Amino acid sequence: MDKIKVTGLKKSYGSNEVLKGIDMEIGEGEVVCVIGPSGSGKSTLLRCLNLLEEISAGKVVVDDYDLSDKNSDINKIRENIGMVFQHFNLFPHMSVLKNITFAPVELKKMTPAEAEKQALALLERVGLSDKADAYPASLSGGQKQRVAIARALAMNPDVMLFDEPTSALDPEMVGEVLGVMQDLAREGMTMVIVTHEMGFAREVGHRVIFMDGGYIVEEGTPEEVFGSPKHERTISFLEKVL
Amino acid sequence: MRIQKKMTGFLVLLVFFFSFMGSLVPSAHAAEANKTYVIGTDTTFAPFEYQDANGDFVGIDMDLINAIAEDQGFKVEIKSLGFNAALQALQSGNVDGVIAGMSITDERKQTFDFSDPYFEAGPMMGVAADNDTIKSYEDLRGKRVAVKVGTEGATFADSIKDKYGFTLATFDDSSQLVDEVKAGGSVALFEDYPVLAYGIQQGNGIKTVTNKEKGGSYGFAVNKGQNPELMRMFNQGLANLKNSGKYDAIIAQYLGSVDAASGADIGGEAAAKKSRLGLIWESMPAFMTGLGYTMFYTIVSLFFAFLLGLLFGSMKVSHNKFLRGIATVFVDVFRGIPLLILAFFIYFAIPQAFGFKMEVWMASILALALNAGAYVTEIIRGGIQSIDKGQMEAARSLGVPYGNTMRKIILPQAIKVMVPSFINQMVITLKDTSILSIIGLVELAQSGKLVIARTYQTFDVYLTIAIMYLIVITILTKIADRLERRIGRG
Repeated sequence: MDKIKVTGLKKSYGSNEVLKGIDMEIGEGEVVCVIGPSGSGKSTLLRCLNLLEEISAGKVVVDDYDLSDKNSDINKIRENIGMVFQHFNLFPHMSVLKNITFAPVELKKMTPAEAEKQALALLERVGLSDKADAYPASLSGGQKQRVAIARALAMNPDVMLFDEPTSALDPEMVGEVLGVMQDLAREGMTMVIVTHEMGFAREVGHRVIFMDGGYIVEEGTPEEVFGSPKHERTISFLEKVL
Repeated sequence: MRIQKKMTGFLVLLVFFFSFMGSLVPSAHAAEANKTYVIGTDTTFAPFEYQDANGDFVGIDMDLINAIAEDQGFKVEIKSLGFNAALQALQSGNVDGVIAGMSITDERKQTFDFSDPYFEAGPMMGVAADNDTIKSYEDLRGKRVAVKVGTEGATFADSIKDKYGFTLATFDDSSQLVDEVKAGGSVALFEDYPVLAYGIQQGNGIKTVTNKEKGGSYGFAVNKGQNPELMRMFNQGLANLKNSGKYDAIIAQYLGSVDAASGADIGGEAAAKKSRLGLIWESMPAFMTGLGYTMFYTIVSLFFAFLLGLLFGSMKVSHNKFLRGIATVFVDVFRGIPLLILAFFIYFAIPQAFGFKMEVWMASILALALNAGAYVTEIIRGGIQSIDKGQMEAARSLGVPYGNTMRKIILPQAIKVMVPSFINQMVITLKDTSILSIIGLVELAQSGKLVIARTYQTFDVYLTIAIMYLIVITILTKIADRLERRIGRG
């Protein structure tokens, strides 16, 4: 059973076509890393998977919900798709605990007490038990991103989307965030990760997708893509980043 | 056929009967002893109607109508509406009569029935008390002369200005004329005799050197064909007062000398001048009341402006083109129209075009709220758009709907950004209430104008009013600063 199925996806901003026809299937529990030069459309593709970007043409089905269908309840679908952003986007006016409990309580998934209990468990999982009452402004980048992951997990999603989760971090903080993600992958979470961390992609990813110019140019296991890239553009990209 | 005719006859009879009954009802009503009539008047037209130091309406008109009412055994309820508004209210039947130092003109006779004249007005020239060079119209050649717009004085001065070779400067307010002449901008003023005489009696530093010109006379007005009983009682009462000498007493109380023909004498015994501080002190209750109204109108208008701003501000940041368009039009229109014009439009133009009556306070709140609402809309839009769009995306990606995200995530952050602009808008709106004094709204600036109309102490009054605005705004800004710091920390 495919968790995510994308067929003929196109996305344009005015006359500028960013995605030019994407076909992609992601199975349950699969960890897919999307790599490629900037401007290749990889972030846009990710944002189409929870409709942060409107879809210009084609079809995106997540968990049997058709996102391209105007009648589908997008809020319902999003509850099941967690997202982690490059710039964390924590709510600065709420404590760490409140950041995590906000959505489950607001959407009446849990009572405040249940949500708090869960939030504390999640904070322990990302190694930030002592930061429950802190405000985002007092956290380091790595801590912020771990809170953001906990916040996304609070809705108990089936799928997690990561949009360059370590790009805005100081190098010494990348490890702690990747560590949390690696744990998550091991637990069987379906994950789509747009990343520049080739080492992580090779180590954790089940599959690697290389995008360029709005197309998926090449995909395969990390060994295939990193070990013996077939396409010329993949080769030149990897030469530059590795 | 026969039956039909009978029916018709019966119907006609019925109609007659009811119309007869109908005509009976009001006259039966009018005959009632001690009936209360609602009388409209101007807000300030000293010495005919103005507020005294206690805020009570006094003046020749007020004393006359009260004396006549007492003489004739009816009651009056005075409504101080402003001259134009009073006439509108009379036409729409909201008041029974108007007494407002109104000249009897042929034009007005088309619409209203006038009483016997109760006062002979007519324009008269005034010069500064220390001026020895202007002794007649001849001396005005090549000089500038001040007049008040729409008065008989203005009409008269205009009619002789070519003959005597002087130019006119037109003002809105009697006290402005006096200040103009005292400051030397104009050498003389032409003003309606009673206004001039009253001012001189108050010691406004003006004297007269010529005689009163022949001019119009003032009358009490009812709507044409209505309230004949009231009109009859007014004329009867006026005649009684003139016979008893009470009329002369009232006039003398306000104008000093009754002998208007020898105008040069008037104001000979100017009222003992109060000390400057004493005058301000005496007017303080009126100023404080005015200040209270200023605060009240500011708060109420800002409340509605905030609601408008919230509504149109949210529309401006929505994804719906149509809603955005409506909000943009709202902002453009009400930010683009000067508050003064907006007030005129709401208070005068719209009620006249659609035939209804608008209260001054309502028009004022509407004008202020719409004007401030346009600015608040922009403040709210700017505040919302200053919040990183990642905040909206983060909440939406969790499945939280747009509205909840707006309320719980975006607005709490945006408000911190908006607070300084809100404080700014509050100060602007508080000051802008003074503009509404032009349509007669009683607030701090208007309280000042009313006192000046009575006392002619322009400098002292405006200085006091300015200081009062300054104090209140400084206090409010300090409170707001403290509030802002607290929000900023939270």
